[in-house]
Amino acid sequence: MVMTGLGATVARAGRRLLSSLPALFGVLVFTFLLMRVLPGDPAVFFASGPNAGKEEIEQIRKQMGLDKSVPEQLVFYLSDIGRGNLGRSMMTGQPVLKDLRERLPASLELTFTALLIALLAAVPLGVVAALKPGSLVDHGVRLFCALGVCVPTFVSGLLLIYVFYYLLGLAPDPTGRIDVFTSLPPQRTGFLSVDFLLAGDIEGWWAACKQLILPALSMALFVIAPLARITRASMLVSLGSDFVRTARSVGLSWQKVVVTYALRNAILPVITIAGIVFSTMLGANVLVEKVFSWPGVASYALDALLSSDYAPVQGFVLLMAGIFVLVNLAVDICYGIADPRVSIG
Amino acid sequence: MRFVSFRPASSVLATAALLLVAAAPSHAQTRAETLRYVTGASVNTLDPNIPGSTRESFALSMSTYDRLVAFGRKQLNGKWVFDLDKITGELAESYDVSPDGLKLTFRLRKDAKFQDGSPVTAEDVKWSLDRCVTAPILGKAQLLTGSLTSADQFKVIDPLTIEVTLPKPDKLALPNLATVYPLIINSKVAKEHATPEDPWATAWLKEHTAGSGAYVIESFKPGEQVIIKRNEDWNRGSPDKPAFFKRVIVQSVPEPATRANLVERGDADLVVDLQASDVQSLEAKGKLKVISTPQYNSITFVSMNNQIPPFDNVNVRRAVAFALPYEDMFKAALFGRGAPLFGATWPDGKPLNGIYPFQAPVKTDLDKAREYLKAAGLPEGFSTTFSFNVGQASTAEPMAALVKESLAKIGIKVDIQKLPDAQMSTQINEKKLPLFTEGIVAWLPSTDYFYRNFYTGNQRWNYSSINNPELAAIAQEARFEPDKAKYEEDGRKLNAIHFSEMPQIPLWQPNQDAVMASSIEGYTYEFHRQVDYRDVSRK
Repeated sequence: MVMTGLGATVARAGRRLLSSLPALFGVLVFTFLLMRVLPGDPAVFFASGPNAGKEEIEQIRKQMGLDKSVPEQLVFYLSDIGRGNLGRSMMTGQPVLKDLRERLPASLELTFTALLIALLAAVPLGVVAALKPGSLVDHGVRLFCALGVCVPTFVSGLLLIYVFYYLLGLAPDPTGRIDVFTSLPPQRTGFLSVDFLLAGDIEGWWAACKQLILPALSMALFVIAPLARITRASMLVSLGSDFVRTARSVGLSWQKVVVTYALRNAILPVITIAGIVFSTMLGANVLVEKVFSWPGVASYALDALLSSDYAPVQGFVLLMAGIFVLVNLAVDICYGIADPRVSIG
Repeated sequence: MRFVSFRPASSVLATAALLLVAAAPSHAQTRAETLRYVTGASVNTLDPNIPGSTRESFALSMSTYDRLVAFGRKQLNGKWVFDLDKITGELAESYDVSPDGLKLTFRLRKDAKFQDGSPVTAEDVKWSLDRCVTAPILGKAQLLTGSLTSADQFKVIDPLTIEVTLPKPDKLALPNLATVYPLIINSKVAKEHATPEDPWATAWLKEHTAGSGAYVIESFKPGEQVIIKRNEDWNRGSPDKPAFFKRVIVQSVPEPATRANLVERGDADLVVDLQASDVQSLEAKGKLKVISTPQYNSITFVSMNNQIPPFDNVNVRRAVAFALPYEDMFKAALFGRGAPLFGATWPDGKPLNGIYPFQAPVKTDLDKAREYLKAAGLPEGFSTTFSFNVGQASTAEPMAALVKESLAKIGIKVDIQKLPDAQMSTQINEKKLPLFTEGIVAWLPSTDYFYRNFYTGNQRWNYSSINNPELAAIAQEARFEPDKAKYEEDGRKLNAIHFSEMPQIPLWQPNQDAVMASSIEGYTYEFHRQVDYRDVSRK
């Protein structure tokens, strides 16, 4: 029975992935065209050496394949994608696929950590606020959330750096994933905190974690608010519903009522929001990545966009679209676990 | 991560030995022998010749490769700067210029070796220079400015002598060989990686080095960091010694405030691209060494498109020149950190000398500006746009607001346009911007070079699109003028035309503010406006 349930879920997930392919294709073509409509000419930008003239511009244009017509470029681009080639970045001089592969784990590690911190803070806060609506605690949570939202991430990032690095000297220097003097573990997952553990290097693991805390915290602060608000709202509904009243009336323990009955029913919208928050954070944490010199995909894409470097931007959007599809799928599967009545399809 | 090693077996042994040795000295000692340099930019190629290479890549190549010759250095107001007039040998032990100026003969150092241990020969030099003028790389356009255009000009005389022939006695031929591009490559190694489509091994050299320079690449992560270690055999700086630092870490830190924190806390040793406000506060605290050098081979200006109405009228251009709020802009944009190019007095109305960039006799004088507008037939003013690129926003944004405010006083309504860098360069190339601010730099800052490159022809670097036959003719003539007095006279004429035509308005030369730990010595302002890691040492 359990096996067939699992099999069905996998089959449905597979179907869902297939059905998202047209959307991915649309994103691919749309980004391609959008980049070409933008008014910057990458060839002119990159030919900005002290003596680069018309000849250099033409040469770069040829190198980037921009000397061909747009439909021709699109065909070449699609056939390259079909062969798993995302093109080459002018900015870093590396193949885009290699850049993304090196940078994605950095972004994922940061985003997962930030989301974990945010959820650990937001769900209890939301629950506490919902248990006593209108109380001082509720207002306190609201104030905290409002502060988190209205302070932009780069401000909180710079503040955290100022206090914990500059004034107190507790945090390591905010320059990337690992101290420049620490040697890296053999790369297995790309997640430094995991790789260090696998290599059995506890000192390195702690060094990597220390680098991670501040950027993750400044990102988490920003997303605690939506998560806590949605937890509170959905807990209120859940606490006021018939089954909770029944559970209370039959004398179930407080913990059982709140955690097992109310929270489990209230968690669905939180999961949805967490999925959306995750995808947004991954792409939109440019400022945190910049402030902490985090070698992630978002700052990579922004730099590429500013210099009209087509290949990395296209590669990044495709990657984000792919991740969005996967996250949505994961959210749907989580639904199934949280509430067996829901089935994905 | 890539390691460039030519002798894998011995380098493994060396690494093992290093590890054993490294266990003994304390962390502090190795830190003292390491230079940690942080920058907002990043290295994107190991060969600076690749189109699109960044300034950080230029700087790195100065340490990983040698050239035939190098610029000397001199003191300017107590600060070390590169000296265009003193060219010393780098790979060349000595050089001769023939009396007619048409032949340059270089004799190579006998002890010079590439990083793989093989000797540097005249064949390697010829291959490298041939590559620079033949391959589709950046060096081609640069060497052209020194009349170096064809492989036929480079002749191997014997294994240690090479001769360069010039069609005309060009003053810039020799200095050109000291610039970033004509680096000397180990041709045997490079040829092994050449392909029929890529005979000059550009693809391979982009990610590997094969030079004789002071430093060897230890690891290269494009966009993040480069770590280089000392080449112990290199002795081109001082007679018997290699470079000072055993290791140099070039790390990208995009946020300027973070860079300032790093250097203040002593975690970074040297940074040259801080915001003017941070430099000022760090200087005031007095813990760090701040060396500010006006970038005397660069200019920030406000340019007008001399072909687009109403800026095709010289009186409109003059009106703008007298309406700009120079002092306020200088303070708001740079905190006064630089050399102003406004506010001069020319007693008899003539240029003080023939040197460009020159300080112009312009100042904020709204009445005069209104008169010029009236003379142009536009007493009511007009509307226009003022553009700058996002990359320069920290200085250009406050400036733009002041320009808008001041020009409004004489009736010119300005719409501020902040453009992404690529869009800005595209619009400049297409000559579409009426009024904008930009900066230029010349590696070989001679008067004729500036005028020929930035004020003549229908080309991208002629920002103002000025088309003045007299100016073009004098600039061309000055290029090959051997007589110093006549050259100076030509320069004065050019400067006079510049002031009377007012194609663009030079504002200032911003400072290069190098902020460093107090133990760092020997910092020199270089032509490429980056740090040459070979210059610096720790006390």
